[in-house]
Amino acid sequence: MIEVRDLNKTFTLRGEKIHAVDGVSCTVSAGEVVVVIGPSGSGKSTFLRCLNRLEDFESGQVIVDGHNLSHEKTNLNRVRAEVGMVFQSFNLFPHKSVLQNLTLAQVKVRKRSRRDAHEKALMLLKKVGISEKAGAYPDQLSGGQQQRVAIARALAMDPKVMLFDEPTSALDPEMVGEVLDVMRTLAQEGMTMVIVSHEMGFAREVADRMLMMDAGRILEEGPPNQFFSNPEHERTQAFLAQIL
Amino acid sequence: MDSMGSLKIPTMGWHVLTALILIGLVWGLAAVTNRINYQWTWYRLPEYFVFQSEEVRFAPGDGKVESLERLGDQVRLILVLDNGARESLTISHASLELDEGERVRAGDPLGAESIMRQGLLVKGMVTTLHLSLLSGLLAMAIGLLGGLARISKNPTLYALSTGYIEVVRGTPLLVQLFIFYFFIGTVLELSRYTAGLLALAIFSGAYVAEIIRAGIQSIHRGQMEAARSLGMNYFQAMAYIILPQAVKRVLPALAGQFISLIKDSSLVSVIAITDLAKAGREIITNTFATFEIWFTVAALYFVLTFSLSLLTKTLERRMTAGD
Repeated sequence: MIEVRDLNKTFTLRGEKIHAVDGVSCTVSAGEVVVVIGPSGSGKSTFLRCLNRLEDFESGQVIVDGHNLSHEKTNLNRVRAEVGMVFQSFNLFPHKSVLQNLTLAQVKVRKRSRRDAHEKALMLLKKVGISEKAGAYPDQLSGGQQQRVAIARALAMDPKVMLFDEPTSALDPEMVGEVLDVMRTLAQEGMTMVIVSHEMGFAREVADRMLMMDAGRILEEGPPNQFFSNPEHERTQAFLAQIL
Repeated sequence: MDSMGSLKIPTMGWHVLTALILIGLVWGLAAVTNRINYQWTWYRLPEYFVFQSEEVRFAPGDGKVESLERLGDQVRLILVLDNGARESLTISHASLELDEGERVRAGDPLGAESIMRQGLLVKGMVTTLHLSLLSGLLAMAIGLLGGLARISKNPTLYALSTGYIEVVRGTPLLVQLFIFYFFIGTVLELSRYTAGLLALAIFSGAYVAEIIRAGIQSIHRGQMEAARSLGMNYFQAMAYIILPQAVKRVLPALAGQFISLIKDSSLVSVIAITDLAKAGREIITNTFATFEIWFTVAALYFVLTFSLSLLTKTLERRMTAGD
């Protein structure tokens, strides 16, 4: 579903050149759930944002569902419609109601009729457990509710892949669970997911594969059982020891 | 009850003080003008708002006065022409020089019709309003495009828009008006009205562009990212997500800019467009009522700007209510 070959991304921060993603290669097959962990500044968010080219990269190939994102001719908007993204800070549209947040792109990008978009939106709001908030505006919702709306908004496009960029990091602790529940259901339904997260319990339970990133490189990868109980690298051991 | 009473007295006291200061100002102004022996002629003003115009009507063709019907000091005159057409006119009784049944020939005077006409001040105000409205709309369009160009990654768009804004903001509007009227107006054969309109729009557009740019940049970049991640293209994201939020945020600044535009439009009087300011000058040459006219012109500008100010306040309130 996703194939990444020798991906490189640098940027300059206060005059200093930073190699945020340094020659990363990996594949994610359909239906797989991959959780990416790593210390802050390890490039895991940048890596994730390269997967729908929200972040431009210098070199390498990213191929999503057969479309090569590095090709000039690839219609990025069309690929992005197939790749749902959930952000740390939700990024709901504050001037639109919850329902409009879910229907806008369906109508404008997917060219669905208002009626179909509306139906789909209500179905998804029910699925994430907040159908009663359809008419509310984002700032009337709690963080957990906002993030569930954001997930529903991404799902409304019927994406083939879902990317999650630290979806629970901005939430109050008691709201983390409700968002993880929605993600767990999604994983069980066979959605292809790439998740950047610090929720280790959730990762252990849901992930098919763990990726550990450090200094822009993939340091270690493997199934969660082996990854958590018997990590190869010292850096991984140290990192897990810190957060577990 | 007691506490309310004790609160009310000091507030009333302040209002009395405000009133006293205002009365004092007016009194002082009156005293000063008395010293220079100025003849106030306020009574000349109303005719420059609306006036009765006696306009002589002539017979459109040969015919006969069929009937005369007295309505107060007016007379309804019905004329039947030889070709069978009927004409109905209302003219003042005093000016009537015909009897019932009398024959008239084409071009004969029938009498004077009394018509309410707009005075120069009203005409000038309408011109100012029209000019401000059109140039305001144009400025908004220029500002939207200019604001988008200012944040564009395209070097040409960026350079052109930045240059435009710097040049326009760095030169006086008066000079721009002369350039538009004498140079561009001559080269492109523009009417003085079009030249004035364009100069105002291009001047104001530069300020609107900077306001719009600031508005767009004040919206969190996560909004653009979320919109793009849903597959919207740049223009869809701008139109549906960024601009609605940005414009709402800069509404007070935009209102200020359009209020400035109404006031700045008074400069077009230098290229002989009869706006409110020019109307004032013309009336003064007839009446020598310099003080009265400029006070009145100021008051009329204030009516325009204050209405706009109230309108945007309502708009702001309604937009916040939508959240």
